[in-house]
Amino acid sequence: MHERIVRLEDVRVTIDEKEVLAIDELDIRQGERVAIIGSSGAGKTTLLRLIKGFVTPTRGRVEVLGQTLPIENGKREREFHRMIGMIHQHFDLIGRESVWRNVIHGRLGSNALWRTVLGVYPERELRICLDAAREVNLDDKLHRATRSLSGGELQRVAIARALAQQPVMMLADEPVSNLDPALTGSILDLLMAICDAHGLTLLMNLHLPDLARQYAHRVIALQEGRILWDLASEDVSPERIREVYRRGAQGEDHVELESTGAAAIGWALGRLDRPVHDT
Amino acid sequence: MPRPSVGRWVVWIGLFTTLSAFLYWSFLGSEFSAQRLWRGVPQLVSLFSSRMVPPEWPAAETLWQASLETLHTVVAGTFLGALFAYPLGVLAASNWTPTWIQLPTKAVLALIRSCPVLLLALLFISAFGLGAFPGMLAIAIHSIGVLGRYVAEEVEATDPRALRAIKGTGASKLQVLQHGLVPQVLPQMLAHLAIRFEMNVRDATILGVVGGGGLGFYVLLHIKQFHWERTGPFLLVIVLLVFGSEMLSWQIRKRLL
Repeated sequence: MHERIVRLEDVRVTIDEKEVLAIDELDIRQGERVAIIGSSGAGKTTLLRLIKGFVTPTRGRVEVLGQTLPIENGKREREFHRMIGMIHQHFDLIGRESVWRNVIHGRLGSNALWRTVLGVYPERELRICLDAAREVNLDDKLHRATRSLSGGELQRVAIARALAQQPVMMLADEPVSNLDPALTGSILDLLMAICDAHGLTLLMNLHLPDLARQYAHRVIALQEGRILWDLASEDVSPERIREVYRRGAQGEDHVELESTGAAAIGWALGRLDRPVHDT
Repeated sequence: MPRPSVGRWVVWIGLFTTLSAFLYWSFLGSEFSAQRLWRGVPQLVSLFSSRMVPPEWPAAETLWQASLETLHTVVAGTFLGALFAYPLGVLAASNWTPTWIQLPTKAVLALIRSCPVLLLALLFISAFGLGAFPGMLAIAIHSIGVLGRYVAEEVEATDPRALRAIKGTGASKLQVLQHGLVPQVLPQMLAHLAIRFEMNVRDATILGVVGGGGLGFYVLLHIKQFHWERTGPFLLVIVLLVFGSEMLSWQIRKRLL
């Protein structure tokens, strides 16, 4: 069994007096590929941001990469951030800057302030960024303005930036929900290839349960901030998926029933009849 | 379409009556008189058509020196203003600075801004004496107030997600500022600076009237002596200078945004 790199114990997160996350126990081991599913508002993003150190737990113990969160020491916190790459639903890049400069942002935490102010990086640092850009096949677009790229390319820049950090873990918050279906597969394939090549642990939120089953080894279903089930992806049955979205649909949020929940069920049931192919 | 109710009509009529009364009162208070307008316009025309012509051109050197002094005042004043306005603007932005620093900074900027340039110039002249220096200071201080506010507004309008993403790479706060914030706001900042430069040219040309040096000084000098033929060339240069700075600022903004 691999080393445990994330451990949550009796964790509660309260935002604006509302409990958004209540996890009694959760372990993630090195090299795992975990997908988190659940209707919107189930706490998926909060869970990722908690592990990234962006959200402070109201109660409980959060241990990530050997550090107990929150980290008070600024320098140690930055080093912690550097070790966890994160990609986002809206890409969260600096659109006015070139692709190259966005990728180099991944090295900010590893270089002295004077170097980053003057933009004088050692050869080794530039090599890391160039390699990252190559891995996402963007080395021919390094000098393009980032805002002129397509959605799929933007997410590839974001992956390169995260990769340039030389992380040990990758978090992906709805990495494909802003992309059209044709791009979804190629971005997820790329992400998997990169995580495999670098031995990265991957934790991703996905809005479509079928994708979770297809790309992850382990699927965790969240509902109203709690873990509903935590299964190996081959054990995820259509009934289990229905359970995730059905109960959420009976809750207070009726809009969810109309949009996310119902659509996801339909999509999942339609696709689950087909055999799951390993990637 | 629902028909407006009687109550709504009453409100509208009341509002219209109040505003009309206020407008009438304002015209009354400002001594608006069609008769005076009618009598004054020919005077104004004769000022340009006969009293200023033929113009008596001053020595080219005088005109050049005065224009240069005005321009120097503007460039130095705008630079000094921007130098302080940018950091103060960031400190006044609610999404970047803790409230206990941000609110007082914003208040100080508002206070500075509420002082008109001419008033600032008068204050500085009484403290530092006549000449270009107090004029330059007045422009600098006023620019801090105005530019600082724009900087704060632009910083507050930046995408917080992109900033958080850069923080998430392990960057320090200063690095997030340089690589996340500055690229997001730089073009707008430079555009505001160009507008401020244009406004400062306008302000600086009349600073001389209160003793702040430059072109305005000669305008005041000649008008006081009723030498309209000598005033004309200075007025012309002022108009050209303001027009030129407006063109320049427009070109800069067109390329930036």
